[in-house]
Amino acid sequence: MKKSNLILSAVVVGTMLLSAMVLAAPPLSLSGIRLPQIFNSAYAATVTYDFVTETLPNGQPAYRLDGSPTATIPGPTLIVEEGDVVTINGVDDDFSVMDQTDTDGSPSIYTFTASTPGTYVYKDESSALIGLFGAVIVNAASGDAGSYVDGKSGSVTAVDLNELDKEFVMFMVGSTFWGSEINGGSESPLWTNPTISAVQGDLVRFHILSVGPGHTFHLHAHRWVDPGTTNIIDTKLMDEEQVGEDSHVFIVAAGDQVGSGHWQYHCHVFAHMEAGMHGIFNVVETGPAISEAGASPYNIHPVLADILGVDPPSGPGLVTFEITDEPGSWFKNTLDISGVTLTKSLALANPGDSVNFVMSQTGTVHTITSLLWPTGAEHMPMDEVQSYKGGGIVPLTEPGLYVFTCKIHPYMFGGVIVDDPDTQIDPTPLGEGVLSLLGTEVSSGGSMLLDLGETISLVNGATIPTGSDLALRLTKTFFVATTPSNWRDYNEESWNPSYPAVSVKANVVGIGDVAVINLDTLLNVYFSEGSENELVNPSDAYGITGVGEVWVDTQFEETEGKNKPGTATAVDTTTWEVSKKVALPGYNMNNPHNMWTDRDQTVIYQTEWFSNKLSTFDRETGEPISQIVVGEAPSHVMTRVNNDKIHVALNGEEGVVEIEATTAPSQSDIDQIIPMQGYGQNPTHPHAHWMSSTGDKMVTPNSFTHDSTLYDFNTGIINKQPTGVLAIATGMTPDDNYYVVANLLSSTISVMDMNTGDKVRDLELLADYNPIPLDGITGSVASDVDGDGNIIVAALPIQTPISPDGKYMVTANTLTGNILITDVSDPDPDNWFFVKTLPCEAGCHGVQFGAKAGGGYLAYVSGKFANDLIVIDIDDSSPSNLEIVGKVLLTSDSGMTTDTPTPKEVTGNDGMGGQGVLPVPVAYNGWVQNIPQSVLDDNSWELSCEQRNPISPESCIP
Amino acid sequence: MRYVHAILIGVAIPLILTATFLAVPSAITGNNMATKAFDNSKDLEQETSANTLPVAEAASSKIHRITLSAEQLSNGLLAYKMVSYTVGVGKGKPADITSKYPSEATIPGPTIVMSEGDRAFLTIKNNLGSGIVSVHVHGVHYNIISDGTLMHINDIKDEGATTKKDYQYHWIAGPGTAGTWPYHDHTFAGINGAENRGLFGTVIVNPASGTVKANNDGVVTTVPLSGITKNIVLYLGDDAFWGTEIKSDGTQRALWTNPHLIAADNELVRFHLIALGTDMHEFTMDDYEIVDPVTSTLVSTKPIGPLENLQFTLRADVVFAGGDDNYRDLQASNALMGVQGIFEVSPSGGDSISSGIPDAF
Repeated sequence: MKKSNLILSAVVVGTMLLSAMVLAAPPLSLSGIRLPQIFNSAYAATVTYDFVTETLPNGQPAYRLDGSPTATIPGPTLIVEEGDVVTINGVDDDFSVMDQTDTDGSPSIYTFTASTPGTYVYKDESSALIGLFGAVIVNAASGDAGSYVDGKSGSVTAVDLNELDKEFVMFMVGSTFWGSEINGGSESPLWTNPTISAVQGDLVRFHILSVGPGHTFHLHAHRWVDPGTTNIIDTKLMDEEQVGEDSHVFIVAAGDQVGSGHWQYHCHVFAHMEAGMHGIFNVVETGPAISEAGASPYNIHPVLADILGVDPPSGPGLVTFEITDEPGSWFKNTLDISGVTLTKSLALANPGDSVNFVMSQTGTVHTITSLLWPTGAEHMPMDEVQSYKGGGIVPLTEPGLYVFTCKIHPYMFGGVIVDDPDTQIDPTPLGEGVLSLLGTEVSSGGSMLLDLGETISLVNGATIPTGSDLALRLTKTFFVATTPSNWRDYNEESWNPSYPAVSVKANVVGIGDVAVINLDTLLNVYFSEGSENELVNPSDAYGITGVGEVWVDTQFEETEGKNKPGTATAVDTTTWEVSKKVALPGYNMNNPHNMWTDRDQTVIYQTEWFSNKLSTFDRETGEPISQIVVGEAPSHVMTRVNNDKIHVALNGEEGVVEIEATTAPSQSDIDQIIPMQGYGQNPTHPHAHWMSSTGDKMVTPNSFTHDSTLYDFNTGIINKQPTGVLAIATGMTPDDNYYVVANLLSSTISVMDMNTGDKVRDLELLADYNPIPLDGITGSVASDVDGDGNIIVAALPIQTPISPDGKYMVTANTLTGNILITDVSDPDPDNWFFVKTLPCEAGCHGVQFGAKAGGGYLAYVSGKFANDLIVIDIDDSSPSNLEIVGKVLLTSDSGMTTDTPTPKEVTGNDGMGGQGVLPVPVAYNGWVQNIPQSVLDDNSWELSCEQRNPISPESCIP
Repeated sequence: MRYVHAILIGVAIPLILTATFLAVPSAITGNNMATKAFDNSKDLEQETSANTLPVAEAASSKIHRITLSAEQLSNGLLAYKMVSYTVGVGKGKPADITSKYPSEATIPGPTIVMSEGDRAFLTIKNNLGSGIVSVHVHGVHYNIISDGTLMHINDIKDEGATTKKDYQYHWIAGPGTAGTWPYHDHTFAGINGAENRGLFGTVIVNPASGTVKANNDGVVTTVPLSGITKNIVLYLGDDAFWGTEIKSDGTQRALWTNPHLIAADNELVRFHLIALGTDMHEFTMDDYEIVDPVTSTLVSTKPIGPLENLQFTLRADVVFAGGDDNYRDLQASNALMGVQGIFEVSPSGGDSISSGIPDAF
């Protein structure tokens, strides 16, 4: 095919300058392309490139060639010839070129001989997923460019380099395409998910490259030759490994036998399709074929552009979040504006910008799921049916507030405020009484107001005004969860969370648009914070001690010796002091979430929720025993009473993994993964399962399918019934008649029949709540709506076990930061009723019951964003029954862990992140009877007769 | 029946006009209408005789007229069903082969078997009660109005069936399209479609050469298609294999999940493996090596990712009475979940065993 005269494709204004400079003066330093091309040359050239690393306006790093004005992602494509010796200066130690050995000793120089034609990824390993990658095209000395399938004859036909009309370099990274066009001797960046274009019949060479977790590239209506073979394909697998890279080059005649059209190109991994990994190959009947660049890191919100001193945006911009395992910063904006926002998880964008996610610093799978968005916004809600490794990208066209989360780890938050800088803001003046309550003034213009929009839609189906109790509560939760300095440190005297001192505009029912000068003042006044931090020692204050110890996963605690967070902390319940703190640095234990123990109470089985591993350590000494790969995002672990087999719920997969009974699990001890759904059904992603007291049955709350599976180990799945949105935790009556499922985003607890699996009733935790009026303005948010004589409001329930004697259910509620106590003593669940609520910490999360010294039980409640453990008396015969009798510090006096052989220094988030709780000895019916008396005696654990027979206390009457 | 005559006329004209396709200039830039495979008129819905066919049309090229419907199964999954299928050559009376297909909707959906040079008109009916359901195909030639995507992607129109209006696609198995290709929905409940809920099936385009490579007792040998007496279509999904057996007379049977496959000793069996979903896989058969289409050599395992296809033929000469599974996905979690099945080879062979439609619970 002869080249037609094409106008250089450079539609984005910001890239025209680069193209013009290349056309006008093509010295080597401005372009990665070695000109002129000399074919059949016997002489190899020595080619040198000087790389410079820059930070783009949105915070992503990128390469440019020294002398070129624009750093790009992908970095400049280096086009060389077979046999050339290539030197790249200005890189660092982590830099490498795929399949090419570095023959230069210096860490900042990479030299290789391009002996084999092909296209190779270059990258800086530590920043590869966020922008430091590009391509080296090594053209054959013979001039052979590859082959294409001639659609008329069906034959595989060789193509010469000078027959190519244009080339596209397309990188697949995260779940985003990053591209550039090579045309007429120059390269133009096309940024993300571009619309690439060619004229029908053009011979187009595609260089498809990937960095990181795998993909399958597919282009509609075209087919091509797998290079070096005669195999004709239309979909190609790109390498799978986390730090892998892959390359696939092919040639098509654009629109061959199929004609012009908007032909979609995309990754065919279904979760990546859902996450936005697609674009258009626009084949036009006649020229010119102008490609359109996608969202670019150069275009940022004009306010930020102003502050950073960069050019104002000239097209759609790109906000990028890295997904990490770092406490608070699970969504980390590549642009650090935490000086203003306090949190690293918030971004500011222009309408029409895209938000981009890349799972670059995390050890497991996630979803990118919309938690809330402006009502009616295009492309919303974003979600994927299955969790995955990758990323995501979506355009945000409607102004307002968008918050994204992960359905596996639903306290991971990333927020984008899409603010139209041109909108005039003219808020309604507020009355005096309202002003004094809110502690703010109406803006008289001049300062910039961030517009949160009128109403937001929530993923659970609700729609609420931005100026409402629920919206404010969600906003507060966002800023507390994502800002570690806002967490409650009981080593400090009081708790004073601060919020961004920014001005926002929201919409209040009955009033209209309201301008809030200072969000920090509003949230502090509205939620009356600044409370005193008071610890309570149950022994000193109430004469109450427990039996044994209680373990808490202080999941956010950072220590020396590893680069992932999390420790397991043990509190001696006789002294209420921290006795052990285990970080397992040798295993780089990643976000330990939940624990269980063996029959003899000698080891702790520990799940690593941001990884794919189960660690096991010695309970007494903290010594590491083993670490095995079990599957993605293992959340909870429990044993079966009848055979001691270990069951770990795979929150990132489709079922529960079963492991042989052992105190030192090895890889070969894994028996099977038991699926919690039928073949082909949406994958359940179970979180906090529970086992029956006889070991015969297991129940799972299915986080992604909003239902629960009742499983019988003898016969298989009995039933799978809908419960509520994001079913997250379960509990069971000790007689195995009923089980309960906490539905996080419905704020209900479903009660299920354990013989049939059918739902008996839902306990409605928000029955008395009105989410809309701001307290004191148009009415109370809480009133006895259901007429049961109580005003009880609890939102976003998590762990919800039932006491070993079957009397009370205690539920941790993370949005309202309170504990709900329900009387479940009646054999008929229709008669179960709410008793009371108690204050909890922000991020109230884990609950378990342990034996109280002398009889009765204690409920231990953990909170993610605090470093204390709450102790509740559960003992009808006690004067402090159902009261908080303890707030115990989870930090160690020494500032060190108790790891074996070498203790490690606690370096951050001391005692924070409380999630899984495990009292030892295990007090639940079924397990408590299995503990040998010798184990109790050796440990000096005294259990009463009733505690050994939790549901048959009559056997204790002498 | 009424448009059969129009098609016959349409077939006749290009045959008269062209000598051999090799003589026709191959340039397809610009507005050279005579060599275009499709008329890209945006309003076109029905094929008319004014459409040009690809110039390479041998006398034995067949026309496939297929109607599929999209149905919901009792377990909540979605599936394609064969409604009617006729195949005709030239002026002869088309054969009705509807009865070769199961009368219920199946996963995988009906396999369409074409040869290089054939054409297909496929109509989709929406029996899902709502929405737009489509058929988007890989591999064969089709123009932009047969893409099976929403207007949001193709910029022309929503190319699927509503409950009130069917949609028809026009495919040409042109030269160079030999292979096993998936088709799947691309419109239901959103721009990505509902392939993950069961709406997928297969198009086998047999090569014009009439031969394929086979693992013949450890030696890579070229064998004629006519010697192959069993075809097995296997989809490798995120939690199971899904299968279809095609007997030598063309009868298709749904085998459903992780099927128990059966072949006769020394029978030539052709496998069509397609991966679909989110997971990546590694396929292996304990008793056989696979002819790798990339290298034409034998390999023991083959990585395969969503919508990649792998076609391989083997002589079933390892007699295996069954018992343990001997074909499997080696991907770690899938192996632990039991994504595997039995390939039994016995002296008499016979029909593979269906697992039945899986439970939803």
